[in-house]
Amino acid sequence: MFSRILVACRGEIALRIIRACRELGIETVAIFSEADRGAHYLELADHAICVGPASPSESYLNVARILSAAEVADVEAIHPGYGFLAENAHFAEVCESCNIKFIGPSSRTLQLTGNKVEARRLAGESRVLVVPGSDGAVAGEEEAVEAAHRVGYPVMLKAAAGGGGRGMRVAHNDISLRTAYHAARSEAEATFGDGSIYVEKQIPRARHVEIQILADEHGNIIHLGERDCTIQRRHQKLVEEAPSPVVNERLRYEFGRAALRVARAANYTNAGTVEFLLDPEGHFYFIEVNARIQVEHPVTEMVTGVDIVKEQMRIAAGEPLTLTQRQVIVQGAAIECRINAEDYSNGFKPSSGCITEFTVPGGPGVRLDTHAYPGYTVSPYYDSLIAKLVVYKPTRQEAIQCMRRALEEFRIEGVKTTIPLYAQVFQNRRFVDGHFDTSFIDSLYLG
Amino acid sequence: MEPEGLEEFIRTLIAIMQESELSELEVEREGVRVRLQKQPPPRVTEVVAVNPAGAMSPGRSDAAAPPPPTVPETRTRGNLVEITSPMVGVLYEAPAPDAEPFVKTGDEVEPETVVCIIEAMKVMNEIKAETSGRIADILVSNGEAVEFGQVLFLVEPAQE
Repeated sequence: MFSRILVACRGEIALRIIRACRELGIETVAIFSEADRGAHYLELADHAICVGPASPSESYLNVARILSAAEVADVEAIHPGYGFLAENAHFAEVCESCNIKFIGPSSRTLQLTGNKVEARRLAGESRVLVVPGSDGAVAGEEEAVEAAHRVGYPVMLKAAAGGGGRGMRVAHNDISLRTAYHAARSEAEATFGDGSIYVEKQIPRARHVEIQILADEHGNIIHLGERDCTIQRRHQKLVEEAPSPVVNERLRYEFGRAALRVARAANYTNAGTVEFLLDPEGHFYFIEVNARIQVEHPVTEMVTGVDIVKEQMRIAAGEPLTLTQRQVIVQGAAIECRINAEDYSNGFKPSSGCITEFTVPGGPGVRLDTHAYPGYTVSPYYDSLIAKLVVYKPTRQEAIQCMRRALEEFRIEGVKTTIPLYAQVFQNRRFVDGHFDTSFIDSLYLG
Repeated sequence: MEPEGLEEFIRTLIAIMQESELSELEVEREGVRVRLQKQPPPRVTEVVAVNPAGAMSPGRSDAAAPPPPTVPETRTRGNLVEITSPMVGVLYEAPAPDAEPFVKTGDEVEPETVVCIIEAMKVMNEIKAETSGRIADILVSNGEAVEFGQVLFLVEPAQE
């Protein structure tokens, strides 16, 4: 097992990794930007190194500065968390050449999964249904239109180099498709450095179901069941739950097999997630692979009892998986709310400032992953996630009741948060009955 | 030499001067001699004396001293200017293990003066003072790991 690792991320996920390391007896070296100086979670690391000013390109996204810190601190491995450089194949490659273990898949796998067109091809070759769409990136406007006619409107235009719900547009007819195509191209070029676009049918009334996978470096690969992340706004997840209220044992088995086929085809190692869309008829279609630990990993941890971050360390250290597929048991129900510092009643505008009150919920079945505290300043430089409120109970109904009271207990002042939004979601009949699709949040808020 | 050629010739010489530690350069080419001399920013070393009658008597100061070069985001500790690290790495006080340190306490520095080397990813980066004055204190030691923003030197600023 490693004796010292560098935590190359920030906020709640950095804290999550530091916690796992403390339990495993691994020394941690945290990095931070000037904007995060003084954050309390840094004190829990054994060492903390300032790598640059607030701007992500000069700090958390800066390969040279981060590697330099890794060298100076003499670490054996780097955990990239999620976001920033977590799925950056170049970063993984640089780590490999510096003989520092990147806690995640290989740079080669990251290259494959990072290109969404390649990933779709991989899934197709693995006999996994992909969302109907273009055969690879479209060469131009006409090919996009042709693909749209083949699969039928409405369609989504997605960036091959994108992911995480970014760089996507919807088109309902030829005219809007032509306009959207050019806009999507330039946006993708500017954001991801690659303007390649592919077309996918927009599946109506779909649910977003994803499978957590774990693969060691000895050829063992298992899945830990599914998460339902259908409650989204603009393709950003807000509420996630495990298990999915609409997935039974049979479907979980099918999902799992499909996810593992794709993972094997990508030579996947370490933790990852295979994302699918589930249509009302029970057919599921591959969307993409997220080659990192995900924000919503806690709900899977609660229902399986597996510490995914610890497994990541073990896998990277060359140990075999601690459990077999047969030993994976999904029990109970877990739900997570992403508490964001946003003004949900004002277009979800990010809210920054000093948190003056931070009274946290507790009691049986409540887990809170947060780096925030009274006096913590939410800065405008990074994403707005300040806490993940997770509940775990024997049944979904009890989990919903628990979340309702936990949301009432949770008091945050100084910044606007999405807590009131979730209070409404958890009172909503459709949500409580489990009958919702990806249009749920929009239908609540666009009238 | 043609006028355009002359201009380019001079620009090239200026570039050479700026990239080197030369304080003077004189070159003759095609009948044209060009002499460049680096001027340190003028410093006033004497206060203008006021005689008892109230009239000002000229001191030995440079009457037209230009303002000191602006240093972006200068950090100060009291009236001392902080030289901070722009990167993460290992600091070396001298150009080579057995060489004299770049600066010692009491040394004069100018913006272009190299005060130390920080090694990051096997690259030796020369760190410049970016301020004028005298080294008041050295807060780091040879071979020490430094982080971004760490204060390395304290400089007593040059007086106008």
